[in-house]
Amino acid sequence: MWPDRRIIDLFKTEFPIVQAPMAGVMDADLVMAAAQGGALGSLPCAMLSLEKAGEQIRIIRQRIAAPVNLNFFCHHGVEADPAREAAWRKRLASYYGEYGLDPAAPFNAANRAPFDQMSCDIVEELKPEIVSFHFGLPDQHLLDRVKATGAIVMSSATTVREALWLEAHGADVIIAQGAEAGGHRGMFLTDSIAEQPGTLALVPQVVDAVKVPVLAAGGIADGRGIAAAFALGAAGVQIGSAYLRCPESKVSPPARALLAEARDDSTVLTNVMTGRPARGLVNRVMREVGPISPDAPAFPHAATALAPLKAAAEKLGRVDFTNLWVGQAVRLGRDMPAAELTRALANDALARMRRLAG
Amino acid sequence: MPITTPLTTLLGIKHPIFSAPMDVIAGARLTAAVSAAGGFGILGGGYGDKAWLEQETAKLRACASPFGIGFITWSMARQPELLDIALEAKPRGIMLSFGDPKPHAPRIKAAGSLLICQVQNEDMAKQALDAGADILIAQGTEAGGHGASRTLIDIVPVVIDLAAGRVPVVAAGGLADGRGLAAMMMLGASGVMLGTRFYASRECDGADEAKKRICAADSGETVRSIIFDVSRKLWWPAPFTGRALINDHARRWMGREVELVQNVEAVAVEYAAARDAGDFDIAGVFAGDGVGLIHDIPPAAEIVERIASEADQILSGQRNFQAAPQRAH
Repeated sequence: MWPDRRIIDLFKTEFPIVQAPMAGVMDADLVMAAAQGGALGSLPCAMLSLEKAGEQIRIIRQRIAAPVNLNFFCHHGVEADPAREAAWRKRLASYYGEYGLDPAAPFNAANRAPFDQMSCDIVEELKPEIVSFHFGLPDQHLLDRVKATGAIVMSSATTVREALWLEAHGADVIIAQGAEAGGHRGMFLTDSIAEQPGTLALVPQVVDAVKVPVLAAGGIADGRGIAAAFALGAAGVQIGSAYLRCPESKVSPPARALLAEARDDSTVLTNVMTGRPARGLVNRVMREVGPISPDAPAFPHAATALAPLKAAAEKLGRVDFTNLWVGQAVRLGRDMPAAELTRALANDALARMRRLAG
Repeated sequence: MPITTPLTTLLGIKHPIFSAPMDVIAGARLTAAVSAAGGFGILGGGYGDKAWLEQETAKLRACASPFGIGFITWSMARQPELLDIALEAKPRGIMLSFGDPKPHAPRIKAAGSLLICQVQNEDMAKQALDAGADILIAQGTEAGGHGASRTLIDIVPVVIDLAAGRVPVVAAGGLADGRGLAAMMMLGASGVMLGTRFYASRECDGADEAKKRICAADSGETVRSIIFDVSRKLWWPAPFTGRALINDHARRWMGREVELVQNVEAVAVEYAAARDAGDFDIAGVFAGDGVGLIHDIPPAAEIVERIASEADQILSGQRNFQAAPQRAH
């Protein structure tokens, strides 16, 4: 028995577990597999064209009846600053030389578009049961349209102040994202990573501050972590890293091998890959230019000049410029189908809670 | 019902709750109060003030319950006679943090005390087990005062897996209530150690103003840095840094640590004066990430009781999870 049923009742899933949306390394396959195991499957839309997102959702809808979560970024887009772009290319010039690339060649701009009118059209058309946002919430008129579809709205808080802001602005569920989490920090009211609390300290403080259910995220990748999150007052958990090595993810074979070898101290918070702080496996450019660099252009523009390097290196089987976003629980990941993994996570947590209650 | 774990059995204590050996503010009064309440108080041996240690250990001779004495290992190694003074007080355990415990282990064990080692990563845990540690404390970066960079949810399972049931593991860092104890037991720990929570207790020898600032601070209002060590001209070995409340002094130097080191002489004079004057806009208040959970300054015994009973309710499933205490904002 789960000690808190609010999330199960709200989402209508078998377990209070959300498979985290991980842009760039997954698609409908992982969403469906996690959902079939009893979790809430989440489709990351931040790096998909709207056509592609629509296509993916239709596949999910055709094949499974479970509720689904669509995830969007809602950062305030800023235009690329030519001076900073030029300085960034200069900073990366030696790598361009190494790979025989022309730093003056025109690049395709990085493709992480914020939630807008057209994304909202998709939500209205496809009516996902849950919509989650990263980097706060979209403007009120867009959020009103999302809520009018009946969707449950979630977003991430990295501090108590952000949690209070999200609750006041209409979030139905708050994801308390501790510093251990992989991928982008959801931070939107602060840009200082020094004060970002860890999951165990953050969750009870957010639970005390808000009335809506709180999901714990960051560093949770096994049954004991889930049980601990519930003891702290969380009503559920969001888990990403544990799903990366599932056969249904789209993690490349070399990246998969690195994940399997990673230790618990293999990750770092960096801003060099996209311009915003995110946690991932340390790669060459993070090590040599970062992990935090004041030269990195604003999100998502830092990724623009890295894209040709990433492509060139990957052709040679190298991940020197590849963002392998993963959290501190990387060593707990398992090679296991996502449905089976979901059931194992839930059953381990329940067994642990029962044993200690005994 | 009291929570029984391998830790409570080993130490002969009622509740698996340690108070941290906070340098000089965890004096005999706090240590005795926590131990008398059924927890395990640990006297803060800190940087090695011999007169202070003699005075406080003398007071602890009257303490009928098991207690511990804690040292900063690298600092104590410079004055090994401090360990003799501590051992004369017959502590149930000597806690060593921040340095290789091995050279000191034989004396501690010969005196009949248990060796309690605080560790911050896997290598340190292995080193402590090799030295014959009887209890490991896995400390997360959330902890107030000195620590390292790994977080609690990351380091606790690592240390538990290494200990493999041979010795009990205590979790420390950012914990302040019964939910924290219950959560750590879910992770497989045998108990918890709390510092900041006991800082804000009546028996703690810290300044009233510092205690008030802890009660007022919210989550996210602490920072781990070298600022308050450098300002005292304390040169801690890597990878250790100190977490403290963010105040004017922290804001002034955050991100400018190199410059701080370059100006250390002038800053140290100013800092020492502020400390003496009790000016906590400059003087640091070491506190952990759990500050947002601390809103009052009760007797230490009440803290022990609250934590034990809340954890018991959660673990036994009696607690209605949805009725978490609401805090007015």
